[in-house]
Amino acid sequence: MLKSKIICVTGGKGGTGKTLVAVNLAIMFKNRGYKVLLIDGDVENPNTFLLLNAKLKNKTEVHYFLPKIIEDKCTRCGLCAENCETHALLYIKNSYPIPMSTVCSGCKLCYKICPTNAIEPDLKVIGWIYTASAFKIDLFLGELKPSEARSAVIVNKLIKNLEGVIKTEPEKYDIVILDTAPGAHCDVEALINSADLVIPVTEPTRFGKLDLLRIIELIDLLKKEYKTIVNRSSLLGYKEKFLLELEEKGIEVLGDIPLDEDIVRSYCQGIPLMEKSRNSDKNGMGYKSFNEIFENLMEWGEFSK
Amino acid sequence: MNRKKIAVISGKGGVGKTSLVASLASIAHKDHDVNLIVLDCDVDAPNLALILPPKSKEDIITQDMYTTKKATFLEEKCTQCKQCYNEHFCEFNALNWDENNNIPVIDYLACEGCGACKVLCPESAFEINPVKSGEIISYETSSELPLIYGKTKLGSTTSGLLVSEVKEHTQNLEKYNDTNLILIDGPPGIGCPVIATVSGLDYVVAITEPTPSGLHDLKRALEMVNQFNIPFGIVINKADLKSASQKQLNRYIQKSSHEILGRINFDLSIPEAMSYAEPVVDYAPESVSSQAINKIYAKLKSILLQL
Repeated sequence: MLKSKIICVTGGKGGTGKTLVAVNLAIMFKNRGYKVLLIDGDVENPNTFLLLNAKLKNKTEVHYFLPKIIEDKCTRCGLCAENCETHALLYIKNSYPIPMSTVCSGCKLCYKICPTNAIEPDLKVIGWIYTASAFKIDLFLGELKPSEARSAVIVNKLIKNLEGVIKTEPEKYDIVILDTAPGAHCDVEALINSADLVIPVTEPTRFGKLDLLRIIELIDLLKKEYKTIVNRSSLLGYKEKFLLELEEKGIEVLGDIPLDEDIVRSYCQGIPLMEKSRNSDKNGMGYKSFNEIFENLMEWGEFSK
Repeated sequence: MNRKKIAVISGKGGVGKTSLVASLASIAHKDHDVNLIVLDCDVDAPNLALILPPKSKEDIITQDMYTTKKATFLEEKCTQCKQCYNEHFCEFNALNWDENNNIPVIDYLACEGCGACKVLCPESAFEINPVKSGEIISYETSSELPLIYGKTKLGSTTSGLLVSEVKEHTQNLEKYNDTNLILIDGPPGIGCPVIATVSGLDYVVAITEPTPSGLHDLKRALEMVNQFNIPFGIVINKADLKSASQKQLNRYIQKSSHEILGRINFDLSIPEAMSYAEPVVDYAPESVSSQAINKIYAKLKSILLQL
C-alpha cells in the first residue's frame, strides 16, 4: 500500500532553492531504486531541465479558448456580450461583437449560449508541454509562452497528464515530485492540492520567514501535511535563531542545507549534486545535509516501492 | 522630470528585486529632483514593507479589495436536474456533484467566477458574487516616503487584478499630483501579475544573476517586456559569482546589445542590511554594493530624463 506518493516542493519566496531540492530529491529516490517522475510546474520559468541538462522532447501545444465570431451566422443580438462576466466581448448595438483576448476567461459561455451557433472556438497557443528523461528520471515540463498570462491552464494540463498516467499506468512511477513557482497564487495552489506531502523550502532571512508563513497558511487551508527545509542555513550565522523561531511557531523542519560551493558547481554543470555518477564531495556539507534530509523524509513519508 | 512609472522585475525569484528597490527608493527619496511613491506589486509575497516600515502603526491604512468573483449555489432553487454537472457547465472543473445529497458543490478554489453556471442553469440556482481578494495597505515610512502594497487573500485566484488595483491606488494619495516617479517592486515570473505590473510603464529594470536559471528566466522576462514595447535596462546582481554561466551571460548581453545599468558584486552587507531591516545604501553607505547601486541610480535617472 502506498501511503504517500506525490511530494510538492514549494516555498513562497523566489530563489530559496525549490528546484535544487526537487531535483535532488528526485535523484535520491532514483538512487534507492524508485521509479521517479519529476513535474516542473513553474511554467512561467521552468528550470528543472537546466539542472538536469535534459533535452526537452515531445513538444505539445497548450491551447486556450477564445471566441471567434462567424459573421455569416451572427444576428448581432448581443446576447453573448450581455452575459460575459469579464466583459470580453465588446458589443455596440447592431454591430458584430468583438472578442477581447486579454480579459477572456475562456469559460466558453458565449459559445454555449449563442442562439445561432455563430461562435466557434478559436484556439490560441499559450504554451507548451514537454517530456524528457535524464539520469533515469522522467520529466514533464510546462512552459508559458512569454506575454501570455494564463499560466494556470498549463499547470492544470500538467496535473491532468499526471492523473492520466496514474490511472492508465499506476505502476509506472513510485514517486512523483512537483516543483512549483514562487508565490502563493493559483498555479502553486493547484500543485499543492494534488500532493500528499508538501515541502516548503525557505532561507533564514526576514523575507524567507514572512513568505514561509504565508505559504504555510495556504498549505493549512488546503489541509496538507508539510515539513520545511531551510536552505543557505549557514548564511551570517542566523541558523540557530531561525530554527528556534520556526520551533516556536510549531513548524517542523525536515532539515537544513548550508551554503556549499559544490552545490553551486553542480547546478552550473547540469549534474545534480546527489547523482551517483557525479564525483561529488561525499564529505561536503551539501552532500551530507541532503542525505540527512532524505533519511528524515523516508521516515516521515513511509514510502513503499 | 515628467511623471515616470518604472518597475524592477527579474523572471527568476530571489535575485534581489526587493533589496534593489528599497535602496533605489532611499536614494530617489533624498534626490531633490524626485517626488517618489513606491509600490510593492508582489502581492503573493509582499516583502518591501519589511525594509521600508511605517513611521507609526496608527498611520497604516488597510482597504479590503473585492476584485474576485465566485459562484454561490442556491439550494432552494435547485431541482436536482444535474444538468450543470452532466453537461459540463464549468470549464474550470469547479462544479462537482455531491452524490449523497444529490446537489452540486462548488470548488471555491477552482471557481473563476465566470458566471457560466449562473447563466446556463435553467432554474437560476447559481449566483455570482464579489468576494474578498486581498488588501491594499498604504502608509508613509519614517522618512515620509509614501508606500503602497497589495496582499492577496490566499486562495482567491486573481493576483493580476489586485496588482492593477495597487497601481491605480496611487491616485488616491494626496501626494500623487506632485509625484514624478513611481517605483514598483515587481513579482517573480512572467505571467499574469507581472504583465499587470509592467503594463503602462515607461521603463523596466530587469535584475538577474549569472546562473543558468537567472539567464534563462531573464531572457523570458525580456521577451515578455519586448512584446509590450517598454524600454528596459539590466542589472546584474552577484556579478562576481564564480559560475560557468558568466560567459554565457556576457555573450548574451554583448550579442543583444541590451542596456546594462550596472553590476553589483556579491557583498555580505546586503543580507546584513536586510537583517537590520534597512536598505543597504543606508545601512552600509560605503560598501561596494551601495556604491554600485548609487551608480545604477544615476544612470537610471539620466535615462528617465531622456524618455
